[in-house]
Amino acid sequence: MAAVNGTPSSGDWPNRYFHVDQILDKPGPRTDPAFSAGPVVKDFLRNQCKILVIGAGGLGCEILANLALTGFKDIHVIDMDTIDISNLNRQFLFRPRDVGKPKANVAAEFVMKRVPGVKVTPYFGKIQDKGEDYYMQFQLVICGLDSVEARRWINATLFQMVDDDNPESTKPLIDGGTEGFRGQARVIIPNMTSCYECSLDMLNKPTAFPICTIANTPRLPEHCIEWASVLEWPRVHGDKKMDTDDPEHIGWLYEVALNRAKNFKIEGVTWSLTQGVVKNIIPAIASTNAIIAASCCNEAFKFATSSAAFLNNYFMMIGTDGVYSYTFEHQRRDDCPVCGGEELAVEIGKEWTVERLIEMLVERQNIQIKKPSLSSANGTKHIYFQAPPQLEAATRPNLEKKVFDLVGDAGDILVTSHSLPFSLNLRVSYV
Amino acid sequence: MSDSQDIETATTAIQTSQVAQPDSKTRRYDRQLRLWAATGQSSLESARILVCSGSATSTSVLKNLVLPGVGHFTILDAHVVTPEDAGNNFFLEGLDSVGKSRAEEAVRLLSELNDGVEGQANTANLDDILEKDPSYITSFSLVIAHNLPSSTLDRLATLLWSNTSFPPLIVIRSAGFLAEIFIQFHEHPIIDSHPETPASLRIDKPFPALLDHALKLDIENMDVIDHGNIPYVVILVRALEEWKASHNGSPPKTYEEKSEFKKGLLARKKKADEENFDEAAAQAYRVWTETTVPNEISKLFSDPGVTSLTPSSPAFFHLLKALQQFSSQPPHTLPLSSTLPDMKSDTASYVHLQKLYKARAEEEKLVFKSILKKNGAPVDDAIVDEFVKNAHGLKLLRGEKWGSLDADKNALSACLKGNTKETATHLALSALARIQAANPSVQPTEDDLRTAVLALIGGELPRSSSGEVIGESELEEAIGELARAPTADLPNTAAFLGGLVAQEAIKMITRQYVPVKGVCVVDLIGSWTGVVQP
Ligand SMILES: [Zn+2]
Repeated sequence: MAAVNGTPSSGDWPNRYFHVDQILDKPGPRTDPAFSAGPVVKDFLRNQCKILVIGAGGLGCEILANLALTGFKDIHVIDMDTIDISNLNRQFLFRPRDVGKPKANVAAEFVMKRVPGVKVTPYFGKIQDKGEDYYMQFQLVICGLDSVEARRWINATLFQMVDDDNPESTKPLIDGGTEGFRGQARVIIPNMTSCYECSLDMLNKPTAFPICTIANTPRLPEHCIEWASVLEWPRVHGDKKMDTDDPEHIGWLYEVALNRAKNFKIEGVTWSLTQGVVKNIIPAIASTNAIIAASCCNEAFKFATSSAAFLNNYFMMIGTDGVYSYTFEHQRRDDCPVCGGEELAVEIGKEWTVERLIEMLVERQNIQIKKPSLSSANGTKHIYFQAPPQLEAATRPNLEKKVFDLVGDAGDILVTSHSLPFSLNLRVSYV
Repeated sequence: MSDSQDIETATTAIQTSQVAQPDSKTRRYDRQLRLWAATGQSSLESARILVCSGSATSTSVLKNLVLPGVGHFTILDAHVVTPEDAGNNFFLEGLDSVGKSRAEEAVRLLSELNDGVEGQANTANLDDILEKDPSYITSFSLVIAHNLPSSTLDRLATLLWSNTSFPPLIVIRSAGFLAEIFIQFHEHPIIDSHPETPASLRIDKPFPALLDHALKLDIENMDVIDHGNIPYVVILVRALEEWKASHNGSPPKTYEEKSEFKKGLLARKKKADEENFDEAAAQAYRVWTETTVPNEISKLFSDPGVTSLTPSSPAFFHLLKALQQFSSQPPHTLPLSSTLPDMKSDTASYVHLQKLYKARAEEEKLVFKSILKKNGAPVDDAIVDEFVKNAHGLKLLRGEKWGSLDADKNALSACLKGNTKETATHLALSALARIQAANPSVQPTEDDLRTAVLALIGGELPRSSSGEVIGESELEEAIGELARAPTADLPNTAAFLGGLVAQEAIKMITRQYVPVKGVCVVDLIGSWTGVVQP
C-alpha cells in the first residue's frame, strides 16, 4: 500500500510541512555531514520509515501525535490495556465514551482521523505475543511503558536480534518514563550504548514492608492496607483473585484495613491510600508526559533524518524545584546479563541455602528476577526450577540444601526466568 | 475472628464502601491529586488563563492545562488558519480548518478534552486590546504569550508589570530546535514547596513530654521483645541525656566522641539483631546536628515584606512575622512538625510516640496562633495549619520584569561567563526577535543575527582572565540553527514547551512546588535545558 502512505501528494497539501521542512531543507552547524537535505531525507521519513510505539498510555498518546505531525506515516502501536476513567487526566486521545475499549485501537483511530494520510496500525495485546520477524520490520522502536518487566523484555529481545552481518538488524530503542514531575528519556543502540538492563540499579526501590511488621506491629496506615490485601484477602476469599480495578474489592480492602487501623489506633487509612498501595499507583500528569514524549520523538526524528545529532544517551529532568535537567552518557555495565558478557560476581555465605540465594536474586537492585530457575554446570544440572510442575516438585527438596554443597567452590550458576528472554551467569564465591 | 464475623464484615464493607468510594471527578483526577491534593486542584479550577496566539506551541501548553482541569482559558488570536498551521497543530483538523478562525478552531478542539473546563476564543487584535481595554487582560490570573512580535510583547509585559496585583506572564520564544521561557512576576510566596528534606525531630532539643517519656522508660528491666521495639527517637533522646550528664551538658562534638557515642548505642543491644539500635546508630547525627531555624527561612525574616509590614500586607508576610517572633523564643526553632517517620517499633510504642509529637505540635501551633492574634493579624485557620505544617519548606521568590536582562549589558556579560551555552542561546533568540520586529518578511542571515547579538552585549564578547573570548562557538551554533529555521514551530519543540510551560503554570497557580527563576533555555539538539540567571 505504498501509494496510500507513500508518495508526497497523498494526504499532503502545499506547505503542510512548512515548519519541519525548514530543518530538512538544509543542515545546521551541528548536523552530521552525511545528512542529505531535501527530497531524499523527506522521502525516507515520509515514505519508507516504519516505527513502532510500545504503549498507548500517558506517553504513548503523546508519542503518536508527535510522530504523526513530524511526518512519520507508517506507525505501529502495541498496548494490552483498556481505557480507565483515571487515564483521562492525561491520555488525551481518549474520551469518557471510550472507557473500557482497547487503548491501542482508540488511539490509532484518533490519530488517523486528526492527521490525514498517516497510517497507524494498532495491536491490542502483549509485546511478548510478537516475535523477531515482527520487530525486524521497524527502523526504530519507541517505548512509553510503566512496566519494568516489559522494558527488560523488549530491551533483551532487540539485543538478541542483532546480526553482525546485517546492519538493518540493529534497532535503536528510545525509552521514556515519568513519575510525577520527574522523567527521563534515553537512547539505547544495541552494542553501542548502555542498555536498559545496565541501569536497573537506578530504579527507585519499591517500598516493601516486612511481613512481620504487617502481621504483628503495624505502625502506618500502609501496614494495615497491606495486611488486608496480602493476608486477609487470601484467608477470607481463598482462591478468588483480587482485582484491584474492581471498586468492590478495593472497598472491601479499605474497610478491613480501616478496622485494623482503628483497633491499633492508627490514623490515615483512606480509600485513595488503599488504592494507591494495592495498585502501586505512581502519580502522573500530562505536562511531564508531554516533555518526555517530546524528547523521545525528537530523538526519533533526529535519528530518522540525521538532521541533528541525537542524544548520547540519557536525559533526565526534575520539575519540582525549578527546572532541573541532566544530560549524560550512561555507562555500560560489564556484568550486564544483556550487553555485558561478563559473569556477575556475588558473594554469599557458606551456610546459605538455595532458598536464601533465590530471595537475594529477587531483591537485589541490579538483578530483580521475580521467579528465577537455577541450574549449574552450564545448565545441565538442575538446582531449582519454577516450572513445569513435575520439575518444580523434583527440584523442590534442593531449596533447603546449601548452595555450597550443590555447586562447590567454583560456583557457576545459570539463572533463567520465564519472564525474561535472557539468562544470567552468576559466579558465586563464599565469605 | 470467626468466619461468620468475617462474612458480616465483608458485606457491611461493600455497603459502606460505596459511600467512601470517590466520585467520578476524583477518580478522573486521581493521578494528579496525589501530587497537589484537593487544595491545589481547587486553585487550578478557579484559575483563568489567557493565551496569546493559537500556535502549535500555545495549543500544546493549553492541552496540558485543560486535561488537569484549569477553570477557564481564552485563546486570543486574530489569525485564520493557514495550510502551514494545519500541518503542525494537533488542535486543528487539517485542511478542514484552513480559512477558519485559528482561535475558534483550537478552542473547539481543546474543549473536547475536558467538559469541566470553559474555553473561549477571542479574535480581536492584541495591540488593539492593549490600547483600548487593558483591564480585559489584567482580569485573568495568568497570561501566556508565544512568539509575539517584540513590540507587542514589550507592551504586554509593561502593562502586567505596572501593578503588583496584575497577573504573572509566561513568555515563550522558540525557533526550530531552540527555545526559552521566562516567568514575569513580582513576588511569589510558596507555603507548600514539597521539600525533599523532612522537618527536624528535635532530638537534640527534646520537648518536655518527650524527654520525660525517654527518661522514665525502664529500659534495663524490659523484656527482650519490648527492648527490640523501643523507637530510635526514644533511644537517642535517652542516650544523649545520659551522655550530657557525664560531659558537662554538652553533646558529642569531636569525631572521637561521635564514634564513641555510636558505639555506646550499639552496646545497649540485648540481642545482636535489634534493628532499632542499628537505626539509632544510623540516625545518631541528629544528636549533634543542632535544630535551628534553617538559613533559607531566617533570610525571609529580613525580606522587605516582613520588615515593612502593614495591616494590609498579604497574609504570608503576617505569618512570616509571627514565625520570626515564635522562633526568637527558646528553643529557637520552627514549630514542631507532627509527622513522625516510620521506624522499627511495635504498634503501642510507636503510636504513643506519635501522640506525644502530635500533642506538642498542637500546643506550639496554639502559641503561634496567639502571636498572630496579638499582632492583630487574623489569618484563616486552614492557612495557618498549612503554614505551620510546612514551615521548614517556605519559599518566597522575587521575580523580574521581562527584558530587564537584555537591558543590562554587564549582567549579560556575567551570564555569558557563568552559563555560556544557555546565555548564547538566549542572546541569539533575542537577536532573532529584534530582527523580525524590524523586518518581519525578511529571512535573517547569520551575519544579521551576529550583528544583533553584539549590539545587545555592547560590541564584543567578554573575555576570560586569560584573554580568551567566551561563548564564540556556542553563539555560532545557536545563530546557525536560528538562521536555518527562524520561523519553525516544530511539533516536538512545541510539545516539549507545552509540557514545560504547563508545569510552570501549574506551579504558579497552585502555589505548590517551586517555579523556575530566570530565563529557562531549551536546546533540543543537545537535548538539554538550562537557566540563565544573573
Ligand atoms: Zn546492558
